[in-house]
Amino acid sequence: MSKIEEVKGLVETGKSKKIAAAVSEALDAGDKAQDILEAMIASMGVVGDKFSAGEIFVPEMLIAAKAMSKGVEVLKPVMAGDGSSSLGTCIMGTVAGDLHDIGKNLVVMMLESAGFDMVDLGVDVPAEKFVEAVKENNKVVLVACSGLLTTTMPALKEAVQTIKAAYPEMKVIVGGAPVTPEYADEIGADGYAPDAGSAAVKAKELVTA
Amino acid sequence: MLTKRQNLMETIKGGQPDRFVNQYEFLELIREAPKEAFMTPMGTEVKNAWGITIRWPEGQIGSFPVHEKGYKVLDDITEWREYVKAPSVNYPAERWTEAIAHARAVDRDEKFVTAFITPGIFELTHYLMGMEDALMSYYEEPEAMHELIEYLTDYELAYAKQIIENLHPDALFHHDDWGSQISSFMSPETFKEFILPAYKKIYGFYKDNGVELIVHHSDSYGVNLVPFMIEMGIDIWQGVMNTNNIPELIKEYGGQISFMGGLHSGEIDFPDWTPEIVMEHVERACKECGKLYFIPNLSQGAPISSFPGVYEATSEAIDKMSAELF
Repeated sequence: MSKIEEVKGLVETGKSKKIAAAVSEALDAGDKAQDILEAMIASMGVVGDKFSAGEIFVPEMLIAAKAMSKGVEVLKPVMAGDGSSSLGTCIMGTVAGDLHDIGKNLVVMMLESAGFDMVDLGVDVPAEKFVEAVKENNKVVLVACSGLLTTTMPALKEAVQTIKAAYPEMKVIVGGAPVTPEYADEIGADGYAPDAGSAAVKAKELVTA
Repeated sequence: MLTKRQNLMETIKGGQPDRFVNQYEFLELIREAPKEAFMTPMGTEVKNAWGITIRWPEGQIGSFPVHEKGYKVLDDITEWREYVKAPSVNYPAERWTEAIAHARAVDRDEKFVTAFITPGIFELTHYLMGMEDALMSYYEEPEAMHELIEYLTDYELAYAKQIIENLHPDALFHHDDWGSQISSFMSPETFKEFILPAYKKIYGFYKDNGVELIVHHSDSYGVNLVPFMIEMGIDIWQGVMNTNNIPELIKEYGGQISFMGGLHSGEIDFPDWTPEIVMEHVERACKECGKLYFIPNLSQGAPISSFPGVYEATSEAIDKMSAELF
């Protein structure tokens, strides 16, 4: 098995204690940092698909994302200044009045693993704060808003509409337990995802369209 | 007319109930029993004897454990012995007085005197560590996780002994949320390895000591966990959401376990609720799920609603369906 294949397997199985050494060995063996990164991103795509299909569960996705993150740490010094792999910046938060963060954190991990530079605004984020974050950060290509409660769905609508009013061309993706594709359409979002795995797929689709 | 208790037993044993069991009517929850604080009033924060901080922010619909920097009890599962210290379960006799009086006042022919336990074993692991760390620890440090769960189980058993000695409950209502709305938090294999053995001990202990009925709350998806629920001794899964296809579950498992829920709080219990919305959902649930092995109920883990009037309107709608269908 090539070193790069080994790295892919370690991401998919979430072996965060072994991956740093494997990435270093792949670099020593002559694999390019960019290729290793792309291999890890592809592995996380597999993980996301398996999660969406119900083949794996939240912990498997968490440990895979953790392994990916440990692998990226090894690559960072080698790739410093090379932004070619980034899909751009994504601002993410759970909307005002909603304190749920687990689903949002999963999406942050999956989008980061897919190649986005993530800015996590946390939970209970007012609509204006999303707009400020778009203004304050470089190369923002996507805003992701999460809402878990039926009671905070109006806040989701307000967030999307406030972002769109300030930045009409900005892509906005929404998700969370009570959200449906129809509701996403109704409030003017560009995309909807039912889970963290498909959020990564949809986010890439929106910014590369 | 059957008593509430008789009607419940007819429903879950496949007999001849004379009406729908109406939500929590058959359970008399003895909530005065002494225990550690895992809830706090809106706008307040409390740190319990486990060291877990519980906060209910203004404007939210419930309490949350706090895991911000500096608040986690346990940062590294491998060091659990150093940081996790179970509180004593030997509460002074006077702290049981109110609960004992409440239990004695219940007509046990009519209702089940019910011990109320929250949080459960899985919940306690993530209350201590935060959800992400807890879930990863099941996979990354299984040995330490087994040890911690055994420790938490021993604590629960010690507390169960106190509950039984003081209250002689007929039923147990035990919380432990095992999933999101669309999936279980962990795989069935992981659940079987870690959670099932703990609950076989806990629920087995209650049943060996006179508890007739185990009602377990998990307002989540959980189809893949039902065989384990049966194996650990659950009689009624409360909080079962519509994402589980309840009619199919009843068809497959009715007689081994019953299902209490089918009324998703998120669809009924919201600020703009109306009696008509409640009626529509109750009618659908009652007609789809039928009269046996099913108890129509909001998915919330207590006989309350988040918004005033919803619980009562749901009970009224169930009575109407009983009048129509029985």
